[in-house]
Amino acid sequence: MAILPILHFPDPRLRIKAQPVERVDDSVRKLVDDMLETMYEAPGIGLAAPQVNVSKRVIVIDISDDKSSPLCLINPEIIRRDGIEEMEEGCLSVPSIFEKVERARQVTVRFLDRDGKSVETAADELLAVCIQHEIDHLEGKLFVDYLSELKRQRIRKKLDKIRRRTM
Amino acid sequence: MQARLAAVNVVSAVVDDGRSLSALQDVFDAVDPSRDRALAMELSYGVLRWRWQLDGIAHRLLSKPLRRRDRDVMLLIWVGIYQLLHMRIPPHAAVTETVNAVRAMDKEWAAGLVNACLRRFVRERDGLLAQADQADEQALSYPRWWLARLRRDWPAQWREIAEAGNRRAPMTLRTNKLRIEREQLSARLTEAGLSHALCAYSSDGIRLDEPVDVAKIPGFVDGSCSVQDEAAQLAPGLLDLGPDQRVLDACAAPGGKACHLAECSPRSQVVAVDIDAVRMRRVDENAARLGVALRSTVGDVAKPAQWWDGQLFDRMLLDAPCSASGVVRRHPDIKSLRRDEDISALAVTQQDLLENLWPLLKPGGILLYVTCSVFREENDAVVAHFLAGHPGAMEYPIDSQWGNKLAVGQQILPSEQMMDGFYFARLVKR
Repeated sequence: MAILPILHFPDPRLRIKAQPVERVDDSVRKLVDDMLETMYEAPGIGLAAPQVNVSKRVIVIDISDDKSSPLCLINPEIIRRDGIEEMEEGCLSVPSIFEKVERARQVTVRFLDRDGKSVETAADELLAVCIQHEIDHLEGKLFVDYLSELKRQRIRKKLDKIRRRTM
Repeated sequence: MQARLAAVNVVSAVVDDGRSLSALQDVFDAVDPSRDRALAMELSYGVLRWRWQLDGIAHRLLSKPLRRRDRDVMLLIWVGIYQLLHMRIPPHAAVTETVNAVRAMDKEWAAGLVNACLRRFVRERDGLLAQADQADEQALSYPRWWLARLRRDWPAQWREIAEAGNRRAPMTLRTNKLRIEREQLSARLTEAGLSHALCAYSSDGIRLDEPVDVAKIPGFVDGSCSVQDEAAQLAPGLLDLGPDQRVLDACAAPGGKACHLAECSPRSQVVAVDIDAVRMRRVDENAARLGVALRSTVGDVAKPAQWWDGQLFDRMLLDAPCSASGVVRRHPDIKSLRRDEDISALAVTQQDLLENLWPLLKPGGILLYVTCSVFREENDAVVAHFLAGHPGAMEYPIDSQWGNKLAVGQQILPSEQMMDGFYFARLVKR
């Protein structure tokens, strides 16, 4: 297992539309393991492959407090959305920024698991938000895209400052 | 020199000798600026724009073809018909002045012929126009291969694109935001009596209602603005420029876009490269006028060993040499100068440039590929081919209010949203 470097906004590689996984093989499982380790170490509750510079439709999620419910979703697709909810979101690619975003309250998602088996499941609240947030990454979309241009500019400046301080 | 004669000389140099309008400014300079120069330019540009229509009509007016050494008489007939068809000169004045020009050419014998042709055109105008309209080549005034390409590339819009290429282009300014705010420049233009509108897509652009001499634009000489079409002004915005980056403008001369990059990101290091040493001097002149710092280098972009210092770039703009088929409304000579086989040769060059520049880009860096062409062989075909051969290159899709989304990249068709016909594709390195 390995910890992968995470790309940060406004890195253009976060904007690439990710490609579907054709076959769930050992190399994909290795990617999933590395992504989980990277996510736990960050720490975060979700990570999409494009954030670690891999243009594949793979996401990992664990919303538990004790690393007890790792999920891996390959080629995920939302097939149903219900309700509206607003929740404060953050992102490992947009460090130290938290903003409110409106999303569906409940979603049904279809995906392949780490054995390549097709699974369908419903999720609500935090898990639903997390799934939608990570699937956005596969489309090259970030949660800051839902904010106003002015707010996004401010975030860019703030991140620039943080980066210069840490360099 | 008389305006009509100057026009005959210019048209002949373009059509028969393959010279470009920009290389013929000395002919216009020889015309009295107070009286005839504007007319000479209007006639030259207009006749080149409508060449195929004028030629079709002229052939129907002549009972037998002119001898080759009387090509100038033929061109003068084009000039005559152009005035009668596309200008608001009273017909008797247009005919008389054109006949006078034959005499000045020392071809007294042709005065009667030119007079008869033009008078017949005035009498039978509608019938002759209807005949010309039968053939798209004459009705739209393009070489046949050009229209065939447009039809193939743009089955739904080809006619509109051809028509747009025959319209006059607006004059658009680009604010130098290091010197002045766009709103302030706008106020100065209003004070100078120049009516205008702020561009919708370029936040630096101002479009004038009527073109004027740059000397009459307040702030041009002191570097507050440049002349550049709005489409060309979109490049820096697509590059996601950050502070302190290394930015390459490849094929930079005469430097419009390179200076704009430096205006948008003054703390970045902008490197401008072009193979043409003479035109490269214009880059330095422009940079000096605008007060921006650039590193300009002469060299073959496709051979980085000639000019590259070995440091990778964060951003690259490749404004590739192209047919310029998207800007014929500004450069009507292009219709006469290009050949069908040039397009494939240009595509090879474009491919070659991409291939050789790509290794100079940092991982996570952006390359913007730009042409002012509407031929897809030079645009999405080049980029799609490149992407297919380079797994480390990905498209970074352009999310814009302007232009048309293609399978790869974004195409502005000429006159769409009043802009020139440009193609943009944005790539990012994994």
